[in-house]
Amino acid sequence: MDIQYLIDTFWLSLKGIPVTLIITFSALILGTPIALWFAHIKIQQIKFANKIVNGYVTLIRSTPMILQILIVYSLLPSVLNRMFKNLSIPFDIFKVNPIIYAILVFTLTAIASLTEIYRSAILAVQPGQKEAALASGFSERQANWRIVYPQALRIALPNLCNLVIFLVKGTSLVFIMTIKDITAIAKVAASFGYNYIESYLDVLLIYLIICSVIQFSFYIIEVLLDHPLHKSKKYSQWRLAHD
Amino acid sequence: MISLHIDKIPSLLGQIIPFIPVTLFVVFISSVLGSLLGGAIARLLFSQKKLSRRFAQTYIYLLRCTPPIVLLFIVYYGLPKLFLNLFEIDLNVLDKLIFVVISFTLLFAASAAETFRSAYLAIDAGQTEAGLASGLTALQTFWRIIFPQALRVALPNYCNSLVNLMKEGTLAYTIGLVDLMGQANLILGRNYGNYAIETYLSVAIVYWLFVLIIELSFNMLERHLAFERLPKKAKEGVHGYPVLD
Repeated sequence: MDIQYLIDTFWLSLKGIPVTLIITFSALILGTPIALWFAHIKIQQIKFANKIVNGYVTLIRSTPMILQILIVYSLLPSVLNRMFKNLSIPFDIFKVNPIIYAILVFTLTAIASLTEIYRSAILAVQPGQKEAALASGFSERQANWRIVYPQALRIALPNLCNLVIFLVKGTSLVFIMTIKDITAIAKVAASFGYNYIESYLDVLLIYLIICSVIQFSFYIIEVLLDHPLHKSKKYSQWRLAHD
Repeated sequence: MISLHIDKIPSLLGQIIPFIPVTLFVVFISSVLGSLLGGAIARLLFSQKKLSRRFAQTYIYLLRCTPPIVLLFIVYYGLPKLFLNLFEIDLNVLDKLIFVVISFTLLFAASAAETFRSAYLAIDAGQTEAGLASGLTALQTFWRIIFPQALRVALPNYCNSLVNLMKEGTLAYTIGLVDLMGQANLILGRNYGNYAIETYLSVAIVYWLFVLIIELSFNMLERHLAFERLPKKAKEGVHGYPVLD
């Protein structure tokens, strides 16, 4: 075990963290509006659209992420290239930063998971809340945005935390798209002296740190958002029993 | 505009189908061993000793934060080196399959332990108390009263973990195991990188079918074990008190 190499590579690989975070959070932010829309389609069970959303969610959830990455990465550039050529747009698609494709794949995955998360969270808000809002003269949109969504967000937080961790872990695969993320940097560093174990231990350590920070921040947000009622003795006993 | 050769897919499917047993073997063995390990870890979570609880919590926490591919590489590169340095045993002669199974067993154990823990907690404490009060030993209470009920509660989450294991199992090709994905890559190499999309699509179809089968069978199992289907006696209960909640 080469301790000096371990430390050097650790600092070197830290440079991959922004890439990981950019991919994860772009996917979450880009996926949220579509996922909300899909969640509403599923809740209201709109005839034809409901089937399409269900099909999409099952399709994305039942194929491995690495396959999605490989399919998008081998399909999209050549298709776009041909499209631009046909439309005679002078734009070299092969010079585009591959991070765009990674964001696309992760957004597609995030939409599928977010749809389910938002759907269950919105359904978990007591229907009386919305009825009360509508009865006090709120429009449908106002009732959703001011009453239902804020409460649903609190309910969705634990699942969101899980999803963020899942996506962060998934970014360890984007080195296949020639993106210089944590894993890629560590791998390249290892190939000089065949120090693969040290490199992967570094990667493991970095992912551990990222995931710990994410879990801790979600915990803080949850505590901050908690209703005073939840700080009651009964609730804390329930938490104790479940943690 | 898109040169998709759909007609190639059947022959590609024919070439990867013989490698389904490898993938299924990895999933099956890892899930069985992982469930056993997960059960042991879940037991430690409820241990009286603080050290055991801490150990189990740390294990779950660590594995939850580990990307599968990184664990796979660490096991594949690290384990042989560790054994060579400590016991002077050369593990490099072992099949890659064993390293894959070890990694996915470790991964699956963490999610299985979480599943078992939540299922155990979902069973009302009154059930244990009633079991103990009627003279059963602690072990009998667990195996005859708690376990059958917890099993049903655990089914949906267990199904999820199994599907995840199946999907993560794809990564085994990165250390050179020739399973579905490994064979797909070999075919791709043989075709000089042509028909990449068709090859990956056929792998996706196979995985999609497998996930479908897993989910359908778990749904059937759930319905089979549903409360409504229990014998009338269990529903009505003894002396008017329901046996199951």
